[in-house]
Amino acid sequence: MRRRSLLLQVGVSVLLLAFLALLVNNLAVNLLRTGLGLDFGWLGRPSGFALAESALPYTPSDNYLWALTIGWLNSLKVIAAGLVLATLLGVAAGAARSSSNRLLRSLAGGYVAVIRQVPLLLQLLFWYFVAFLGLPETPIGDLIQLSNQGISLLGMPLSVEFCAVLTGLTVFTGASIAEIVRGGVNAVPRGQWEAFRSLGLSEGLGFRRIVLPQALPAILPALTSQYLNLAKNSTLAIAVGYADLYAVSDTTITQTGRAIEGFLLLLISFLLLNLLISGGMAGINATVLGRMRRSR
Amino acid sequence: MNRWLNRSVTLVLTALIGWGVWSVLHWLLLAADWQVVVSNLPLYVVGSYPVDQRWRPLLWMIALVVLIGFTLLGPRRGPLQRWLPLIWLAMAPLGLWLVAGGMMLEPVSTRDWGGFTLTLLLTFGSGLLALPIGVLLALGRRSRLPVLRLSSTAYIELMRAVPLIAVLFFGQLLIPLFLPPGLEINRVLRAVLAFAFFAAAYIAEDVRGGLQAIPPTQREAAAVLGLSEWQSLQLVVLPQALRIALPSLTNQAVGLLQNTSLMAILGLVELLGISRSLLANPVFIGRFLEVYLWLAAVYWLACTAMALLARHLELRLDPLRSDR
Repeated sequence: MRRRSLLLQVGVSVLLLAFLALLVNNLAVNLLRTGLGLDFGWLGRPSGFALAESALPYTPSDNYLWALTIGWLNSLKVIAAGLVLATLLGVAAGAARSSSNRLLRSLAGGYVAVIRQVPLLLQLLFWYFVAFLGLPETPIGDLIQLSNQGISLLGMPLSVEFCAVLTGLTVFTGASIAEIVRGGVNAVPRGQWEAFRSLGLSEGLGFRRIVLPQALPAILPALTSQYLNLAKNSTLAIAVGYADLYAVSDTTITQTGRAIEGFLLLLISFLLLNLLISGGMAGINATVLGRMRRSR
Repeated sequence: MNRWLNRSVTLVLTALIGWGVWSVLHWLLLAADWQVVVSNLPLYVVGSYPVDQRWRPLLWMIALVVLIGFTLLGPRRGPLQRWLPLIWLAMAPLGLWLVAGGMMLEPVSTRDWGGFTLTLLLTFGSGLLALPIGVLLALGRRSRLPVLRLSSTAYIELMRAVPLIAVLFFGQLLIPLFLPPGLEINRVLRAVLAFAFFAAAYIAEDVRGGLQAIPPTQREAAAVLGLSEWQSLQLVVLPQALRIALPSLTNQAVGLLQNTSLMAILGLVELLGISRSLLANPVFIGRFLEVYLWLAAVYWLACTAMALLARHLELRLDPLRSDR
């Protein structure tokens, strides 16, 4: 039995290696044929393209590496803002679905039912072309100014593209988070609700202090995967022209023809992003569970 | 909830909904112009398919609608019900044959495929390819052989770390590089392949969840009955695991249909791609809202139909509720 499994193992390894060797061989032949070798030297050359939005100073004479970094920072900006807003919207909508007000409950239900069955890309295009590019010039007080050129919030200018991507990601991910929150809240025994009501706690306070903390252990792991989805979905920003990491990579590859190197860089950047998000969530998870254990 | 708070929430919401309904009605009656949808309906359904051959994709779609109706509303027993899963599986090759041609039908180049036909073909094709790859990956990840386990795990985790649009884009660029020189495959097939490789990693995780839910006693019982390891997997473990994984597989299928819209960024003219080219036409300039609402309705209907079908299948496969 032992020997058979060893033989099987060797057999499988040989097959896998042969398959990989075939792929690599084809790749090498094709790369030689087209005159492209694996090389990262082009990263130091000037990019020659402008970016509409950059968190740090950037000009077309800066090199590709810097352009990609700016793209990464732009991605990070929209992802971070999206995470916060989607969580707020999702928790609010999830709580609204177990509210005692029937109108509020069905409104939240309708939001989730519609948003989850329509492709995100379509929603992004809607927010960009219909909602934000159609904004009339409306100053609301001194602090907020809306126009189809962008939005100025407390003196901070936000581009139309950024706003469209942020809104699209928030609304789309919020619907999924609402479902997760509802599932977690439903898992808390009804007796807990009756208990805090009989203690005289208000509905909002009871939800925040009694129900939500007990629902969190069920919610957090599913929330992490939604956060990772949001990060990955942010690459659809290319459809509305927001200069995120993927859009910059796309332009870079079109200009240099370095598809394999570009793919490797993108893969590494996303692994880094995922690590950042799941690491942060693991920390939050540990704190929440630790606090629960202490309070018991 | 406090009675006054409750009432004021209802009041505010009613005012908001009233305002929403009023502005939608205002737009529908005064501003909306559905010409962009009505006059391009054939484009939305079959793309730029040759006019005299349009009956082929139409026939396929009618067959699909009839099959959906029969599955949901048809009799629960009977000879046809037995064959229903096989008929469903046969719809993909049938559609491919009808749309692509060959074998007695005039061949039609993939450049002319488009609209809802292309969306459906992409969904069916990549789904059918991804399911077996996903099941193999899930089994590989739970295998006792470290080589198999590690390579499956690495594949699944790497695929799940990258965004779909990147996989599709690099699929277009890189798949030709990994093929022997001289062998070329067209854009649609490359998209289906890349899409299937991506979806397989997610399906693998859903199937793995199903596999983990099967108690080890099932395998032991199969072994006691004298079934070989392969037989026990095929007859005892996998059917149960797939049934458990069905709800999450349904979500994947709905996601698959929605994500075919990403092919528009790569220049395929499926539903969204057609719309993008129509909106670039000066005749229909600015008609974004009409087009997007129409597309949302189509996607919503298709996704809901899919979810209904899967729910139906779930109930039929439930050993406690089925009356077979």
